[in-house]
Amino acid sequence: MQSPLEHVVLFHVGPVPISEPVVVTWLIMAGLGLFAFLSARKLAILPSRTQTVLELFVTVLDDQIRETMRRDPAPFRPLIGTLLLFVLFANWMSLIPGIEPPTAHIETDAALALWVFVATIAFGISGRGLRGYLDTFVEPSWVMMPLNLIEQITRTFSLIIRLFGNVMSGVFVVGIVLSLAGLFVPIPLMALELLTGAVQAYIFAILATVFIGAAAGESEEIPLTAKESE
Amino acid sequence: MTIDWWTLGLQTVNAAILIWLLARFLFRPVSEIIAKRQALAHADLDAAEAAKQAAEAEREAAVAARAEISARRAALLDAAQADAEREKARLKEQAQAEIAEDRRRAEAAQARAEADRRKELDEQAGYLAADIAERLLRRLPDAARTVGFIDGLVVAVSELPAAVRDRLGSDGPVPVRAARMLLPEERATLEARLAEALGRTLTLEIREDPELIAGLELDATNAIVRNHFRADLSRITAELTRHD
Amino acid sequence: MEGNLVEIVSVLSAAIAVSFGAIGPALGEGRAVAAAMDAIARQPEAAGTLSRTLFVGLAMIETMAIYTLVIALLVLFANPFV
Repeated sequence: MQSPLEHVVLFHVGPVPISEPVVVTWLIMAGLGLFAFLSARKLAILPSRTQTVLELFVTVLDDQIRETMRRDPAPFRPLIGTLLLFVLFANWMSLIPGIEPPTAHIETDAALALWVFVATIAFGISGRGLRGYLDTFVEPSWVMMPLNLIEQITRTFSLIIRLFGNVMSGVFVVGIVLSLAGLFVPIPLMALELLTGAVQAYIFAILATVFIGAAAGESEEIPLTAKESE
Repeated sequence: MTIDWWTLGLQTVNAAILIWLLARFLFRPVSEIIAKRQALAHADLDAAEAAKQAAEAEREAAVAARAEISARRAALLDAAQADAEREKARLKEQAQAEIAEDRRRAEAAQARAEADRRKELDEQAGYLAADIAERLLRRLPDAARTVGFIDGLVVAVSELPAAVRDRLGSDGPVPVRAARMLLPEERATLEARLAEALGRTLTLEIREDPELIAGLELDATNAIVRNHFRADLSRITAELTRHD
Repeated sequence: MEGNLVEIVSVLSAAIAVSFGAIGPALGEGRAVAAAMDAIARQPEAAGTLSRTLFVGLAMIETMAIYTLVIALLVLFANPFV
């Protein structure tokens, strides 16, 4: 049995080895980018069906961010939304035969969690100021500072492992069952994996929101204008 | 397990590129279009609210105008009704006055007619009485129709004023009318009695006049002495037909 | 034989890790589902919100089992001592 932790290097560009997750990520990027470009070109006041779905998605995303962070969702929308969409489609790439989800490899998850980590620090500093952000590490008292620092690392790490473990184990289990039973038996497991993939994408995005929101702090004026206008 | 650092780096770059791509081409335009539509909807709602308020104001104005019109109409109706009442009362009074006048006039006319009728009846009754008396007298003897009146005539002559009595018969014979031609002895009696009464003799010129029915009439130029039934009847008739 | 012994211990420890790692999340998930059922029975109108939160919570709990699975797979396929 092949280890799920290994990855296949497809080809080299100069000295750079291009592995399978990178190629699949490129595919997803191309698909999402093309779809976004094509649908954004036709935006109108009277929305088409696609535009309605997009607007619904953006509205729901904004509401989630606003509820979780109690801040204006505009600066966080691209990061959170992209995480959600990318993880979702990456998880569902397992539907295509012969393609493993990029999130089943720890490098992709680590890259995403790294951006979350960077965004946490950046939004924390921009939200509270450098001094204010550093003060959050000594929050109850000085004694807690090492724990707070370690928590920053561990929660990023748990973010990586959670996504990686879920997706990888799903792929692994389906692979095992496939090697044992063959034709129709893996189908319920694959359906379960779809659900798991969607839920994990949501969890990843919402955890990122919570981390960033906790770092940025609640804004003084809670923007209720979008809420009122609904 | 080994971490492929090349893959990690590539995926990090890929993630950044994807975030930028979606932010540029998906999230910003969509949220912009949502905001734009919300602004439009707000504008539309505001306009609709303004239009609604304008319509409301117009409706209230219309209601006020209608109330005013109906009040004016009620006032006009009241005035017209009052006029009609007044006119009616006036007409009624006038009609009553006219009716009273008519009745009064009719009553007057009736009374007059009644009086006329009664007068006529009285007249007729007078004539009838005279007629009856005349007929009755015609049945008396001829002597009674003249002789009986001599005394009366003499008395009447003697009662005349002295001046008149003195001038009686001064200018010719005194005409005397009798119911029938006096017999000579009757004439003599009359002359004797007159002479007795006047103290001088009168020359009498006797004429027959059946109109007198019975009696005598001395017809001097300055005095007339009537003592006959015709005169009596005429007097009675005048009495009867006189309306007091 | 030494290498074999390490491999045997690795397989055993992987099995033990997965089995014990499954107990805790199983109990936790059972309690979570029971509580959610209770809440839905009390407030059927909040069933949508409750089930959504339940799914997310289950996934979070399941992650604990997944961690042990990752450890087991590391032991099986990426054992640094083999």
